[in-house]
Amino acid sequence: MTEARDVVTVDGLEKDFRVGLLGRRKPALAGISFRVRSGEIFGFVGPNGAGKTTTLKVLMGLIRPSAGHATILGHGVGESAFRRQIGFLPENPYFYEFLTGREILRFYARLSGVPRGEVERRAALLLDWVGLSHAADARLRTYSKGMLQRTGIAQALVHDPQVVFLDEPMSGLDPIGRKEIRDLVLRLREEGKTVFMNTHILSDVESVCDRVAIIVKGRIRYEGATHDFLDDGESECDLVLRSLPAELGARFSEAGFVRRGLGDRVELRVHEKEVADVLQACLTAGARVVAVTPHRRSLEEIFLSAVAAPDAAPTSQAGRAGEGHR
Amino acid sequence: MNALRSILTIAGNTVREAIRSRVLYTLLFFALLLIATGSLLSTLSYVERERILQDVGLAAIRIFGVAIAIFVGIGLIHREVDRRTIYTILSKPISRTQFLVGKYLGLVATLWLQLAIMGAAFAAVSWLSGARFDAGHLAALLLAGAELAVIVGVATLFSSFTTPMLASLFTTGLWAIGHLSRDLRELGLQSEDAVFRGLAQTIHRVLPDLSAFDLTSQAVHGLPIAASDVWLPLAYATGWVVILLATASIVFERRDFR
Repeated sequence: MTEARDVVTVDGLEKDFRVGLLGRRKPALAGISFRVRSGEIFGFVGPNGAGKTTTLKVLMGLIRPSAGHATILGHGVGESAFRRQIGFLPENPYFYEFLTGREILRFYARLSGVPRGEVERRAALLLDWVGLSHAADARLRTYSKGMLQRTGIAQALVHDPQVVFLDEPMSGLDPIGRKEIRDLVLRLREEGKTVFMNTHILSDVESVCDRVAIIVKGRIRYEGATHDFLDDGESECDLVLRSLPAELGARFSEAGFVRRGLGDRVELRVHEKEVADVLQACLTAGARVVAVTPHRRSLEEIFLSAVAAPDAAPTSQAGRAGEGHR
Repeated sequence: MNALRSILTIAGNTVREAIRSRVLYTLLFFALLLIATGSLLSTLSYVERERILQDVGLAAIRIFGVAIAIFVGIGLIHREVDRRTIYTILSKPISRTQFLVGKYLGLVATLWLQLAIMGAAFAAVSWLSGARFDAGHLAALLLAGAELAVIVGVATLFSSFTTPMLASLFTTGLWAIGHLSRDLRELGLQSEDAVFRGLAQTIHRVLPDLSAFDLTSQAVHGLPIAASDVWLPLAYATGWVVILLATASIVFERRDFR
């Protein structure tokens, strides 16, 4: 099996913004580094103001980094010619409202270097792909937010790029719209494209992304495979018991295992390593085991603990990921 | 080739935006109305009726042309940044300079189209009133177009880094000074104050001399117009447009779109 190559490389990227009358420096990115590999869906996750959109804007050449280096497909992000190989959907995209859906796709196709004879066909194909064929000749000012989001995705893909950057692609969409975008992202991966996705909807990251990076206050806190995070040795197990002797129940309560007790029924949450001992103690004491359910930490829990962690405490996974790239 | 295609795509879209804008039609309507009013005003006088008609008509064309240039030009780039339409455009294989030049050319093409419409209306009113319309008038309209190209260049430069409000103040100020700078230089030459003389000459040198594009008197009075009266101002306008767009490009390339 061939190793996936790095499609996006970010090394020690820093960005300071000047604020106030005196031009005080406000750091937005504090030397972040990460990699996105070909053919994967990469989730870039962080709370508001963490630096997600700033990172994406640096990658799109919309803002200049203060220090560090970033490349896409081996090209410096300041270049423009290679951009025919990338697609970009900004957060809450805005388009020329005086154009129709078909006209805007023709416009972006021409800008993206789609051959003249192909422009019309690609525009029609993408309109169909995102389910906007019925509104192709309506002005964009009449489009709903969901329709504009689909238009944004269509313009990002109209030139059949290799790498697609999506900034909050599920933002403002209803559950059906979110599912459609999720399916579309998975379809892009099936077609061999690389997808970089900024998002704060963790359930979508969990279900779609191959790898994730968590950014907090301009620093990368985690980077690695999504399943590695979710099975990071911190897994727990939920036990449901009946007829648990009071003495044993008190011991479990002292140990902090008891989540809920309702009459004869007791629910425990036990660390994976202690499950066997707890179960044996319960069975020996004559308790009845009703259910044993492995409880994986959700990305949300990992995310919240990353956000709450002190600034200078990057995780070992992030550290490992960083070491691996040097 | 791709660069040219990108520039023309942006320019074409800018023209399309203007064609679909109601505000421009309104301004154009008032300009045409004023040109037509020239024939009414001329009836109030027993002498020089043709001159009044043509003075009013050409003044209307120049003033409305500049008004539209400033009105649209000041928001030309700022609007794209403010509405964030620029994000998706610059993510495509197009440089910031190509985008800027495309926007500029699109607005200039729109203004020249409007100038052609106003010029045609002026010619029609002149013909209906029995007034002369000849090569001198065409030369005056051509240089009015050159002046518009310079004004749009100024507006594009300011629009590339400041708000529409400030850009309109700067552009209007520069337009006013540009029309006064030649008179100011003449005043300076007659002045005994060396500082004022130097200042007046400096202003005339560093700012565009927009009176160079005014052939209204010659056209209206039927005075002879030499070829150099046309091509020299055209070359002067080209030089200024290049300087203004190059400066705007340098400023625009350094901007962060936060």
